[in-house]
Amino acid sequence: MAATATYPPPPPYYKLYKDYLQDPKSAPEPPPPIQGTYVLYGANYTTEDVLPSLEDQGVRQLYPKGPNVDFKKELKSLNRELQLHLLELADVLVERPSQYARRVEDISLIFKNIHHLLNSLRPHQARATLIHILELQIQHRKQAVEDIKRRREEAQKLLKEALATLDGY
Amino acid sequence: MDSVSQLQEQVNTLASLAFNTFGTLQRDAPPVRLSPNYSEPSTNPSEDTVNIAEQPKLMSAALVKAAKQFDTLVNALPVAEGDEEAQLKQIAELEAENEVVGQELQWQLEAAEQDLKQGQELFNQAVDYCVNLKKPD
Repeated sequence: MAATATYPPPPPYYKLYKDYLQDPKSAPEPPPPIQGTYVLYGANYTTEDVLPSLEDQGVRQLYPKGPNVDFKKELKSLNRELQLHLLELADVLVERPSQYARRVEDISLIFKNIHHLLNSLRPHQARATLIHILELQIQHRKQAVEDIKRRREEAQKLLKEALATLDGY
Repeated sequence: MDSVSQLQEQVNTLASLAFNTFGTLQRDAPPVRLSPNYSEPSTNPSEDTVNIAEQPKLMSAALVKAAKQFDTLVNALPVAEGDEEAQLKQIAELEAENEVVGQELQWQLEAAEQDLKQGQELFNQAVDYCVNLKKPD
């Protein structure tokens, strides 16, 4: 029979909730959400989800920095650069095969830049999705308001007609 | 799949096509004469050599096609030049409008509930008179 460790005991603060059914306020509140950095299984995690810039990863940035990057133009120019580098690699492999390493490095640099650009599109996409959802929701709510108004008017009309019919008797 | 994910997929396709192209060409390349001191390597004309001549053309055509598709996808990106603050402002405005419309919806709903209750009351009264359980007052 294999020796297995027993499960750890449940955390001891279950005793504090003895009278929860009778008095929900006698037991402690759940802990508030963590802010800042926290340690999980020996590793540090942060609650701020921000895309690390290319310099933070030690990668040279090929497209111009600045507040507003023209994504389409930069992506297309990076694509052209990529094609040129692939052609260069083919040339190098034919003429001077031992110098492939630099070219391969350049190609992987371009790929890293392209992926970083695409990842930095994501926050913009998220905000655009949010705007779209809000617009849809406003439209649905307005539609519902119109429906309710119409139904109420119909109901009032029916009621008046009914009263008129009754008064006729 | 949304446009950014499609672009990411296309970039990965481009990378794997390039990888396969160079790998296949290197693996299947026939031997070449390195120095005038050694003789020409023997080339046996066979089916393989015909295929080997075709492969670079096909693979480079696929690579260029994938790159063109990437360009098409980039052009199809619905990126308006609104920067972050403009978007955040728009979100705040939409949220405020949503709140207002939500309040009105709530009010209409309550009024409709009132009407429903009233209607039910009247109906109950009418039924009571009809069945003669109560004398009309």
